[in-house]
Amino acid sequence: MAKRAKNKPNIRILPARKPKKPYDRERANHGVLRRTTFIMIFCGVLLFIPLIGQLFKLMILEHDKYESQAITNQTRSTSVSASRGLIYDRNMNALAASTTVENVFIDPLEIDRAEHDENRTNEKQTAAFIADGLGKILDVDPGRILELASDVKMRYKIVARKQPREVAEQVRAFINENNLTGIHLENDAQRYYPFGTMAAQVIGFTNAEGRGSEGLEAYYDDTLEGTAGAVITTKGNYETQMLYSYEKYYEATNGNSLVLTIDSTVQFYLEKNLKAAIEKYDVQHGAFAIMMDVNTGAILGMATEGGYDPNNYLEIMDPTVLEELEKLSDQMDHTNKESTEYKELADAYNQQVAAARLSQWRNRCVSDGYEPGSTFKTITLAAALEEGAVDLNNTFYCSGAKDYPDRDDTLHCWNADGHGTESTAQALQNSCNIAFADMGIMLGGEKLYDYIDAFGLMSKTGIDMSGEGWGVFHTKDAMKVNAQLTTVAFGQSIKPTPIAMVRAIAAVVNGGYVLRPYVVSEILDENGNVIQKNGKKVIRQAISEDTSRTMCELIESVVTDGTASNASLPGYRIGGKTGTSEKLDVYDEDGKQTEDKIVSFVGIAPMDKPQYIVLVALDTPSTSTGMYISGGVMAAPVVRDIFSDTLLYLGVQPDYTDVDMSTVNVEMPDVRGYTLADAEQMLGAQSLTYITVGDGAEVTGQIPMAGNMLPGNSQVILYMGQEVPTDKVTVPDFSNMTRAQANAAAVNSGLYLQTKGSTLSRAVVSGQDYEPGTEVPRGTTITAEFTDHTAQD
Amino acid sequence: MALFRKKQNTEAIQQPQVKLDDTGILDMPFLILVVLLVAIGVVMIFSASYARAYFNTGNSAHYFVRQAIFAVAGVAIMIVVGRLNYFIWYRTATLILLAAILLLVLVPLIGVEHNGAKRWLRLFGIEFQPSEVAKLGMILTFGAMMSVWQDKMSTFQYGVLPYAAILVLIASLLALERHLSATLIIFLIGAVMMFLGGTQKRWFVIGIIALAVFLAIYLAIQGYASQRVTAWLNPESDPSDSGYQIIQSRYAIGSGGFLGLGFGKSRQKYLYLPEEHNDYIFAIVCEELGFVGAVGVILLFVLLILRGYWIAIHARDRFGTLVAAGLITKLAIQVFFNIGVVSNFLPATGISLPFFSYGGTALLLQLFEMGIILSISRWCINKEAWRKKKA
Repeated sequence: MAKRAKNKPNIRILPARKPKKPYDRERANHGVLRRTTFIMIFCGVLLFIPLIGQLFKLMILEHDKYESQAITNQTRSTSVSASRGLIYDRNMNALAASTTVENVFIDPLEIDRAEHDENRTNEKQTAAFIADGLGKILDVDPGRILELASDVKMRYKIVARKQPREVAEQVRAFINENNLTGIHLENDAQRYYPFGTMAAQVIGFTNAEGRGSEGLEAYYDDTLEGTAGAVITTKGNYETQMLYSYEKYYEATNGNSLVLTIDSTVQFYLEKNLKAAIEKYDVQHGAFAIMMDVNTGAILGMATEGGYDPNNYLEIMDPTVLEELEKLSDQMDHTNKESTEYKELADAYNQQVAAARLSQWRNRCVSDGYEPGSTFKTITLAAALEEGAVDLNNTFYCSGAKDYPDRDDTLHCWNADGHGTESTAQALQNSCNIAFADMGIMLGGEKLYDYIDAFGLMSKTGIDMSGEGWGVFHTKDAMKVNAQLTTVAFGQSIKPTPIAMVRAIAAVVNGGYVLRPYVVSEILDENGNVIQKNGKKVIRQAISEDTSRTMCELIESVVTDGTASNASLPGYRIGGKTGTSEKLDVYDEDGKQTEDKIVSFVGIAPMDKPQYIVLVALDTPSTSTGMYISGGVMAAPVVRDIFSDTLLYLGVQPDYTDVDMSTVNVEMPDVRGYTLADAEQMLGAQSLTYITVGDGAEVTGQIPMAGNMLPGNSQVILYMGQEVPTDKVTVPDFSNMTRAQANAAAVNSGLYLQTKGSTLSRAVVSGQDYEPGTEVPRGTTITAEFTDHTAQD
Repeated sequence: MALFRKKQNTEAIQQPQVKLDDTGILDMPFLILVVLLVAIGVVMIFSASYARAYFNTGNSAHYFVRQAIFAVAGVAIMIVVGRLNYFIWYRTATLILLAAILLLVLVPLIGVEHNGAKRWLRLFGIEFQPSEVAKLGMILTFGAMMSVWQDKMSTFQYGVLPYAAILVLIASLLALERHLSATLIIFLIGAVMMFLGGTQKRWFVIGIIALAVFLAIYLAIQGYASQRVTAWLNPESDPSDSGYQIIQSRYAIGSGGFLGLGFGKSRQKYLYLPEEHNDYIFAIVCEELGFVGAVGVILLFVLLILRGYWIAIHARDRFGTLVAAGLITKLAIQVFFNIGVVSNFLPATGISLPFFSYGGTALLLQLFEMGIILSISRWCINKEAWRKKKA
């Protein structure tokens, strides 16, 4: 350019090319200034109008929206967990309680940011270091923690749940020593059940999140849970402190506690006796029992055998299932993991585990229907008496089989020989199917249906427990047909729930009142104040008090004179009804109905003033025991033992006035050192007699030893200066002996014989507490159980 | 260089006939506005960087002290530059531009990387962005060339080609840095200066079309740029990554409300808002000082910009007009883009807010440029006195 500027000809050419447009400096300057003014308005004013508009929109119009979003962004809510309420039995023993534990979680985003921060000074602030350290403390695979930490968009990844305080302290020390961020702890509650498996299905359990998921824990979850509180604090990012911060505290409300009507002592005996029965009769599919106060509906105990430990509710406890699972997992170990066969096995395994868990959590007493069998005859009879269709003077005839119009098959009584002519009372004592079918026809299907409904068997009882089921019954129209009516009348082809059945029979004996059963008597707040009380609630009266009184006498006679003699308990007036039923809807692999049977017994005590009702049902006792499978033989003794274990504890005093003292155990006093006259008085007080050996002035020895229990009216031996023999005697085998035979055998061996069970003369010994052949000291009391094996229902 | 020593060309810039001392004082409104903005900026740096400084260095005043030192030095430099005869910038314009181009070439070779972008150079212990120097060099050079060829601005040879060539050269060097925002600003300033200098309007039409085509291609090729657009229109689509900054910025601005949370009481500065004392400091201004404070700051900028153009209009010569207008346009564009990005009015680009954003050398250069405007202002104040003396 410099060259061209020097080039003169070039300058000459320039004006020549543009002669009409000489450069006008003034005009050009004016143009520049005009354009600058234009730009000034544009860049100095116009540009900023939309910006102010945008700020107006964000700061004024949308202020509330962004402010609340910002506050959510800037605040941390630390939840203050409410402690879950306790569950007490009626004597304030804790059945469920909570302890504080801690969950350890990481904040992957925080860890990632801290690790990749340019200005990071802490060399240990890496995901790898954290994974390694936490893994060691919590016994978690560090690879797993790294995997959790790699999800860097998340802010909450649980590494380990429910760690006890010591472990949590180690984690805290690890954080502090290494000055780490991104590891956090939160309080959590660990539920524990001091009694383990006891009443597990009633109490239920809380799941991993602390929510009640079965039983009372689920039903009363909201009551028990309380309301979690929170501390809301402003926090800088990466949990830094703010200079101007605010904090708000919402107090937690602790959960309320439950006081149950369940008595853990009663519950213990229910379960103990069920377990013993399962053992003794080789019961295949579990058993269940309910004990209820007949006048209030309060449940004293409710047991389902085949249960679980709520402290470890995922663990399967059924040994048969465990064995099968073992087999499956063995098979899986020997199968190629890629094959379809392996997948099938794994599916089967998982399905079995899931099914076994559901089954062991299930409270069969309220959730499922069962076959009540002849125990239902009490309902038919109560209805027939109330309606006047039948009275105590009626007679029935049973030839062992009978045909009814509209019924295709011949109805067979359980006693093929027939019961002959029976009174109404005898029909119940004999549990005669044909008599009850007749009774059903006399009453009419519609009426029977109405009474079933009135006794509350078709509806839910309204018990305060989760998962209550409905019973299965015929429709009213179907009941009009003899085929159904005659069957239902003696208790077949129906499936009420056990709790509904217990309530119905309670109504039969309590004056006719159908109650709402309940398990929670009081709800306490965190300070122990009662905030809610549950009590007796009558839903309706199904039969009159008169009918009820009559029914009480009849039901008692079943034990004294009928199929339930095995339930008799000296000193107590026990009533009850046996039941045996084939299970209706259980099929084997070939689709054939199985031989599975439920045997049950409903017992009531004391019969002069009914107070407690116990239902025991054993699902499918094994045929291998050689005993006749019936409620009378198998379930009645269980109820008797339950009453024997609990009635005195519950304050029901035995009345021995009309009782043969030989069936009652008395305690041998220590009469050594006394004169014969004094000894005689002391023994008399215990209704014991004596013979003497020797002729000393005072007693020097005695058989049996002081403190030993022996039957009343027994004869003891007093040694007056003579040496007491110390030889052992052999326990004889009492099996199948009658009462008289057994007594003679005992006396022969120098032993005392205590009896329990049926007092009928046809009853024979079915068990003894000392094995035959055992060497025992002379004068030992052997207890033999008498069973009436003719009680085939 | 020889070009500008020729007499016929120096005529274009009217050499002052009097001594510098006689040409009056600096333009006080402009000076006061600059000092006021610098002061507010430094104070806001303190508030905004408080938490970050403590978190990073353990010293809450870390960034504040550094920025304050640079601010004091910068104001001093501004006044000294203001007292110089701006004719020296006419003489050294091309030199500065060539130096800037050289520095830009060095960036990909020995540049320093921050936040994943290599745009800085560290020379003699001083770290700076050569693109800023390039902008200054370009403005001065354009001013010089346009004043020399003021009578030929309507031609393609003198009115379009040289500037376009320089712009394309600088833009391609910036493209190596993947520095979209600087490229954009350079083009905008260049276009404004060409418009002021007298380039014919049809070239702008062609330029706008070319720019549109370029932008379309750029957006199609550059994944991160289209991701920026997504993040701009719908930041919630990726709240923890590309949308994070703008969401956090909106929290800060939105929670400011009409009167703000109060000075020092920002919550978003507690490490929620990235770049809170840097590109996004205006969000903290909004949060703490509210709509009133934010609009107040914008008004101060607006007054400064208007005064800057006033100085340009009243400049002694064409060079003065063009340089003052160019520099103040640069400031206006930066303010516009920064606030636009921070308030989510525009998609994210890394443009800092003059006088406010943390960065010592950037502040020094900014004040240096204000000094040039002030030196241009001296003549307009005493225009009459100067004319009399000349007469």
